[in-house]
Amino acid sequence: MKRNPTAFLKEEFDALVAQKLNWELRTLQGPSRPHSVVDGKEVIMLCSNNYLNLSNHPKVVEGAIEAAKKYGAGSGSVRAIAGNMAIHEEVERELAAFKGTESSLVYQTGFAANAGLIPQLADKGDIIISDALNHGSIIDGVRLSKADRGVYAHNDMGELERVLKEADGKYRRILIITDGVFSMDGDIAPLDEIYKLAQEYGAMTYVDDAHGEGVMGPDGRGMSAHFGLEGKIDVEMGTFSKAYGVVGGLVAGSRDLINYAFNKSRTWLLSGSHPPAVSGAQLASIKVLKTEPQHVKQLWENTNYFKKELVEMGFDTGNSVTPITPVIVGESAKAKDLSRRLIEEGVFALPIIFPMVAKDKARIRAMMNAGLKGDDIDYVLSTFEKIGKELGII
Amino acid sequence: MGGAVGLKGTDDVSDKALLLGAKERSGPRALEMLTELLALYHGKKIPAALFTCSNEMGANELEKAGILDYETVYDSPDDTSAKDTRLACAAFMNGKVDLIVFCGGDGTTRDIYETVGRKVPILGVPAGVKMHSGVFGMNPAATAKTLKEFIDGRLSAASAEVMDLDEELYRQGEWSVRLFGTALTLAEPHYVQVGKMCFEEVDEEAVLDDLAEYVTDRMREEGGLWLLGPGSTVERVGRALGVEKSVLGIDAVENGRLAGSDLNEKGLLALLDGRGGARVVLSPVGAQGFILGRGNLELSPAVLRKLLKMDGGEKCDKPDFDALMIIATPAKLAATPVLRVDTGDAKIDSTFDEKGHLLVATGYRSLRLVAVGSGND
Repeated sequence: MKRNPTAFLKEEFDALVAQKLNWELRTLQGPSRPHSVVDGKEVIMLCSNNYLNLSNHPKVVEGAIEAAKKYGAGSGSVRAIAGNMAIHEEVERELAAFKGTESSLVYQTGFAANAGLIPQLADKGDIIISDALNHGSIIDGVRLSKADRGVYAHNDMGELERVLKEADGKYRRILIITDGVFSMDGDIAPLDEIYKLAQEYGAMTYVDDAHGEGVMGPDGRGMSAHFGLEGKIDVEMGTFSKAYGVVGGLVAGSRDLINYAFNKSRTWLLSGSHPPAVSGAQLASIKVLKTEPQHVKQLWENTNYFKKELVEMGFDTGNSVTPITPVIVGESAKAKDLSRRLIEEGVFALPIIFPMVAKDKARIRAMMNAGLKGDDIDYVLSTFEKIGKELGII
Repeated sequence: MGGAVGLKGTDDVSDKALLLGAKERSGPRALEMLTELLALYHGKKIPAALFTCSNEMGANELEKAGILDYETVYDSPDDTSAKDTRLACAAFMNGKVDLIVFCGGDGTTRDIYETVGRKVPILGVPAGVKMHSGVFGMNPAATAKTLKEFIDGRLSAASAEVMDLDEELYRQGEWSVRLFGTALTLAEPHYVQVGKMCFEEVDEEAVLDDLAEYVTDRMREEGGLWLLGPGSTVERVGRALGVEKSVLGIDAVENGRLAGSDLNEKGLLALLDGRGGARVVLSPVGAQGFILGRGNLELSPAVLRKLLKMDGGEKCDKPDFDALMIIATPAKLAATPVLRVDTGDAKIDSTFDEKGHLLVATGYRSLRLVAVGSGND
């Protein structure tokens, strides 16, 4: 029989559907903001990473429009050939100044930064030491490297030191990689201790600060600023797609790092550069963070109030110390029920279940937002309380 | 000897089966497991078809637990022996069961393994005196949980060593645990993240292939003499190299070729003589996570002293642990989170206690630090 070359497409998709592992895309009919319209229904948005609501900030929107008018809709090339515009370089100068580093580099996405840079920093004969709960894009970046990979239990500094001790002397380079803020639990890496251990063992440090940028530290300058380590972490990686409200990956560090990174990262070298509108919005977003501290302040006020009230109602919010607020309910079915009921009541929050988290740690992940008003949060809280009681969670 | 209960799937689940030993110590342990299993299903019908043997070999315990929906496939005599275990297993195999659950220790495991081989996974309710084999649950309640996970379709098959005391050496006053083979048992699937919120179950076979590729790459990169320890995990390395590796013994490989097969202590010492060193690939065997001292006694204290470069008399203060390359799948490590050594030489054992941890390869270039010790204070 002649082979059907594409039969697997349908077969594997159908298998995903049968296992209920397929994605069903939801549609936003309008901007992503605290009150969004999803699939025709108005909801309070608790799933967005647009922490500071900057994607709708007039100056950020204006920045995009102005840059498009001035530079056009596209850049025409990769940056290494003919697509390096003044506005791309302006973003990087502004970002480095904001982050307190010598230099910075913008990648097409956060994923492209991890997938492009990590394999260049460690090769055969080197070891990458990685937190067990690191994000999938780090895991993929690490897979592209020929280095050995050592994993330490989540945030376990004793184990990190033991792995460093084992690696010391056996490998040419040692690279420690961690998320700054962990996206499932909302807890943070002890960067001060990681930095100290790295210094002691001559290891490089790489922090994926996707959820820390614009959230942690003074003015939202990120996890290194939170720990008073500006300019000391070897590679500060982040993204413009979350608190900055735009899109794009970023790397901040020494001039040497940036020269090395853009000469070696294939994802950077072989992808077209950002459209000017994206760069214009990034630039405006950094300037808003510098000049309007009220957004970060409001995010934390909302976060602290939301968490305090949830805990007082009897919900388990785990070890979170950031606006990522897990509401841990235990069984997967319960988390799914809670999510379904919340959406019915106009609160958009999705469940996170096994195998993304342990079997008994299924949860709703609620992301706080600076754009939510007091009334909005009170409505969300009363809805959580009502359904929590209805389902016997509290 | 044990008895038997069997179980087979109803329409909504795939075919399953279960055999239980039931006598003396086995009886109460089997009952405890069955009672727990029933409780896990909230007293409702267990969604699998059960097959068993009459009387003490299973049926009695099922009745006592209140499970009346089963089929007897083997009539056991009043006085049962190992022969009955084998005959019962043969009857289960004829019924094409999906799992055999038994109650007993290493002896029963061997009897079952000799009949069943790797055709059907086996799961033991621990009830014996010796339980070195890797097919047992931690206790009857934990075994019931594993069984429920299997019936609900959440577990996959994985290899586990069948081990037992060498009775002949034991009669001569020597306590020596031998590896008899590798059976199939149940294991938690290992998941890897393939998308932001999408995970893929990785089957044990794929992980074993990754491990074998990692070891063979290291062999090529580093060269020199490599010893391959016993067990199915290390056997994969031989397969990846294309050499005929003995599953139960220790083989030597150099430049991609077999340099010695099923080597005993003397053979190993002869091979190591005059060489700067060698690396040995080991995987934890059996229920207790032993990397040395169970199933690989050929790696005697004299051999280990040479490998670890501890043969310099009193000056051997810093053993070369790099000589050991430990490999294990994540599923196996989950079952045996601590590695153990019992080399028969207190000095060597204590060096592992002092070290406390070893790096274990768990996939291609993936390493995990795992605690190691002799269990002695």
